[in-house]
Amino acid sequence: MSERVLSRAVGLLSLATVAVLWECAARYGLVNRVLLPPPSAIAAALRDLIADGDVLRPLLHTVYLFVIGYGVACILGIAVGLWMGCSPFADGLLEPLVELLRPIPKSALVPALFLFLGIGMATMVTIIAFAAVFPVLINTYQGVRGIDPVLLETARTFRCSRWTTLRAVILPAAMPAILTGMKVALSLGIVLAILAEMLAGLDGLGFVILDTQRAFQTQQMYAWIAVLAAFGAGLSLLFDKIEQIAVPWRGR
Amino acid sequence: MSVRLSLDNISKTFGDGGEGRGLLALDGISLDVAPHEFLAIVGPSGCGKSTLLRIAAGLMPPSAGRVEEGGRPVTGPPDRFVYLFQQYSKSLFAWRTVLDNVMFPLESAPRAQRAELREQCRSYIRQVGLAGFEDRYPWQLSGGMQQRVAIARALAAKPDVLLLDEPFSAVDALTRMELQSLVLELWQQSGFTAILVTHDVDEAVFLADRVAVLSARPSHISEIVAVDLPRPRDQLTTREDSRFLELRHHLMSALLGRTAHGATHV
Repeated sequence: MSERVLSRAVGLLSLATVAVLWECAARYGLVNRVLLPPPSAIAAALRDLIADGDVLRPLLHTVYLFVIGYGVACILGIAVGLWMGCSPFADGLLEPLVELLRPIPKSALVPALFLFLGIGMATMVTIIAFAAVFPVLINTYQGVRGIDPVLLETARTFRCSRWTTLRAVILPAAMPAILTGMKVALSLGIVLAILAEMLAGLDGLGFVILDTQRAFQTQQMYAWIAVLAAFGAGLSLLFDKIEQIAVPWRGR
Repeated sequence: MSVRLSLDNISKTFGDGGEGRGLLALDGISLDVAPHEFLAIVGPSGCGKSTLLRIAAGLMPPSAGRVEEGGRPVTGPPDRFVYLFQQYSKSLFAWRTVLDNVMFPLESAPRAQRAELREQCRSYIRQVGLAGFEDRYPWQLSGGMQQRVAIARALAAKPDVLLLDEPFSAVDALTRMELQSLVLELWQQSGFTAILVTHDVDEAVFLADRVAVLSARPSHISEIVAVDLPRPRDQLTTREDSRFLELRHHLMSALLGRTAHGATHV
């Protein structure tokens, strides 16, 4: 326990050192204050954003976009991954398609999607879902294929129906792998959400970061980046908690 | 003699590429199991004992021959056949507590009966000596305790035929004896038919009414030995019985490929 406290303290020390060096560098003119304001100025800008409630609208816009795209990706990825994992027919049918689409950097498809779906929510949700679906799908598939045959035979000897086997054995047994895929998809989804907002230029954290940069409000820009970082870190922490509760047997 | 399960001229070939060049594992095995009998199948490792049991359980089709239970051909796992795997830790559901693992075979029952069935499961858990561990997860238990959970889960399915695939080979010697006594006790109480596959001759003699000896691959039944030891059997006195030692000697020499010296004919 005391070792953990110590390592935390050392970790904070490195953060504090960087913050102090940055502050000094900006204050004493080692870097251009306009391009890189000191942390204190960014903190003040952040405080203002939160105090007037200005932070809410772009943040909620990004959350909204992300939740829909990510949710669609998870549902689709798990469903198709389970199907491919359980059915050799589905595996044979879809594997070439998945392998063809998977390596494409999804950001490259944003301009093409604007052509089909217009500059708006539909494109943004689609691109987030498209980027996030593959890690979920692949990990679900591998999770299903990696289930020990003894477990499936146990279900057979208890004469479980196909549906019961899927719901009560295959899905929970593949859950650790599914969650791993969902975790990878989480960061990909955020990247694509921010990118889509920057390109679509309507609203959201991606939009305001680009907008404040163009207006040369660098303090605000960095404050928004901090909001985005906190959003990402919050999601990641939330996910770790869910993982601890959902698959406590993982790694045993 | 009525027959609970009958294996008729079972053969199994693995990896047959259609040219008859596959590996012949089982070669024309016929075996009848009487109701409520405890039958053990012993053989050298790799002789296809587990394959034979999997075929008997309907988990794997034979390449030739027929399996019948109660006069009906077996094409998949029959009702109330329960299989106890050697790899108990892989057979238990890691995401379920002990009680929920034991409940698994009963979950298709109507909701109204759930509470009653849970009580039944608690009593099975008590019977296998795990009272107080109902809410633990399998990965929080020792190997022997995990196999006890698997046994309790098997009981919950109210087995008519219990198939035991080297179920005690992965636990330490003392735990093995405890589990053997437990299975024997449950068998005597519940009256199911038991078929045990093992490479442990002592275990086979200690538990079974009859011991079938499989030869090395391609396996056939080289001998069936009736175990005329009195019941109830006891880990100490039965194992010290001179008849136990005679049977053990006879079976050991058969497995080691020697002719038996000094042992009486069985």
